[in-house]
Amino acid sequence: MTNINFKNLSFNFDDQSILKNINTEFKEGKIHLLTGISGSGKSTILKLIAGLLPKYGGKIVTGTVDIPTGAQVGIVFQDPLMQFALDTPRHELEFTLENCQVPTQQIPARINRALNFGNVQPLANRLISTLSGGQQQRVALAVTMAMQPDILLLDEPFANVDEENRQFILKQLRQINNDYHTTIIMTDHDLHGYQQLQPLVWHLTNGCLSQLSVKDSAHLLQKGINQKLTTSLPTSDLPAIINFDHLSIKRGNQNLLLPTDLAFIKNKTTLVTGPNGIGKSTLFKAIARLLKYKGTITYERANIQKLSPGKYYRHLGLVFQHANDQFLNVTVGEELALALKTSQNPYFNHQQVQSALKLLGLTGREEQIVYSLSGGQKKKLQILLMLMRGQDILLLDEPFTGLDPGSLKNVLQLIKDAQTKKPQTLLIISHQLNGLDGFIDFHLKMNQQHLKYVGGSYES
Amino acid sequence: MNPSLKLFLVIFLSLELTFITKLWVNLIVIIICLIILMHYRFHWRQFCWLVFVPLFPALAIFITIVLFSPGHSLFDGTVLFSRLYVYVCLGTVFTFTTNTLTLARSLEQNCHLPSKYAYGVLAALNLIPKMKQAVTTIYTAGHMRGVNLHWWSPTLYFKAILVAIQWSDQLAQAMESHGFVEGQARTITVKIPITTRDWVYFSSILILIQIIVIALP
Repeated sequence: MTNINFKNLSFNFDDQSILKNINTEFKEGKIHLLTGISGSGKSTILKLIAGLLPKYGGKIVTGTVDIPTGAQVGIVFQDPLMQFALDTPRHELEFTLENCQVPTQQIPARINRALNFGNVQPLANRLISTLSGGQQQRVALAVTMAMQPDILLLDEPFANVDEENRQFILKQLRQINNDYHTTIIMTDHDLHGYQQLQPLVWHLTNGCLSQLSVKDSAHLLQKGINQKLTTSLPTSDLPAIINFDHLSIKRGNQNLLLPTDLAFIKNKTTLVTGPNGIGKSTLFKAIARLLKYKGTITYERANIQKLSPGKYYRHLGLVFQHANDQFLNVTVGEELALALKTSQNPYFNHQQVQSALKLLGLTGREEQIVYSLSGGQKKKLQILLMLMRGQDILLLDEPFTGLDPGSLKNVLQLIKDAQTKKPQTLLIISHQLNGLDGFIDFHLKMNQQHLKYVGGSYES
Repeated sequence: MNPSLKLFLVIFLSLELTFITKLWVNLIVIIICLIILMHYRFHWRQFCWLVFVPLFPALAIFITIVLFSPGHSLFDGTVLFSRLYVYVCLGTVFTFTTNTLTLARSLEQNCHLPSKYAYGVLAALNLIPKMKQAVTTIYTAGHMRGVNLHWWSPTLYFKAILVAIQWSDQLAQAMESHGFVEGQARTITVKIPITTRDWVYFSSILILIQIIVIALP
């Protein structure tokens, strides 16, 4: 085996330069961590190594990418939902192993080992479409590991994964790197927990890739360590906007939430956390009237089932976990025009929208097709559009995935600015808690079919 | 029964009955199909759909033949009416009693269909529940952005097509990233055999139908 070589590589997407004259060698058997702001081209590098680009879009202008001949390359994408061809994790694993020409009698053992790797044994026969985002990501990782890759490419593998599983998988990655000498190249914005892997850290900026010095790397990884979060408990004299009255939710035969009474405080920001698959997104869907539940949910004391959807959604918006779901038009410009037309927040006029675009680094992209934006750019545009719509309540489901610390700060700033003209109640699901201290008023934990506010100062 | 063999049988019977104008044969096939479906615990709601969906085209053909054809033949009309139900019943029995993954595996192993088609179709079938979800999501997304989409709104279809185009590309990437290479040999997890019993079933059903065709008026 030899190293992965980028020789004077330049890569374009629709005449837009993404990578410029990259000369780099990723050493075999090492763990490499790619950092850089959203949209800097991290995913592009991974897909080039995997051979998916330029086959599925874009163009190599100059140079070459050399990967060791005969090396098995495994890749896990940013968006886990779209990397399965079959219905259940077990079938997907069988399909993958058949593709890799694993002899029939070895397949069951390989499947078990892969399921153990991702800690997903109980999910093996569930329909993938019913798994939560974090569970899908772990299944995707398990499937890739079943291929026993020589080179493992992970694109923000922990974006929707809870802390416990994150630590578990990090440990697993160190293990396979040790045991099988697997080359691992991964991208991430949230760097906590990476110290134990002792990765070589790379920084991608303006299309140029450089390796950080040992000292800089150590500094950067140190910064990623968990921050403290300080929240208070809501008191009963605060006005509520959403109330649960004996709310219980089921997924199939499984209870996600046992009958609960709860209030969400008006014009405050509430963070909702909990392990993968515990039902956080499902809870949001119930509040947004997108699925059936038992008990009552009221908005400003009115039963939400008695409001017409048109009226209810004027007051309540959901920032979907998948940014693509939010878009209705083709180009960034058209999306912004629609958002301006239907805006309910007077803060956003032409000028403010322009400065918001500048803040988010989206200036000059009006003509670009929304779906061709990078993962992080889509998230930023999506949040901007929903802020412009300006409902009284905004539910945000993992809004910060794919955002680098700088972008996150800017997004939080934008949210605060938008609220100066029209206060909003925000409910946020997020696994990434770094940088959120001071932004959150209340913290609601979901676990074992219960919801509970937590308060005080604690390690996030 | 082996899925490929079953598929061949269903297609063959449909073709054969296309060229035969015998009412009794049609009725017997329909009744046998219904018995099989009941045996597999067909839900009465699904049964209603089975009756309702082909009703209008079947009636249209019936009326055309009986009222407007030169012979005004009630018999021909009834035959064509029942024939449509024969097709639908045979198709329903097939889909209801066959697992799609097993079918794909059988087509790949028994019929040597290129795996590109077998798994391509299977992957597309697995997208159907996602498609349903996607349409609901588009409606909601519209409402939340202040755009009321109706079933006749072009935006709805435009967006649905965009989603589908994107999926096709992502699906291809997903299959490729999971080691699928067009034309490359694959191993098998579950062998789908064609047993002697399959052949016995196949030939006895075939012979039985021929006897009915010949014996009945």
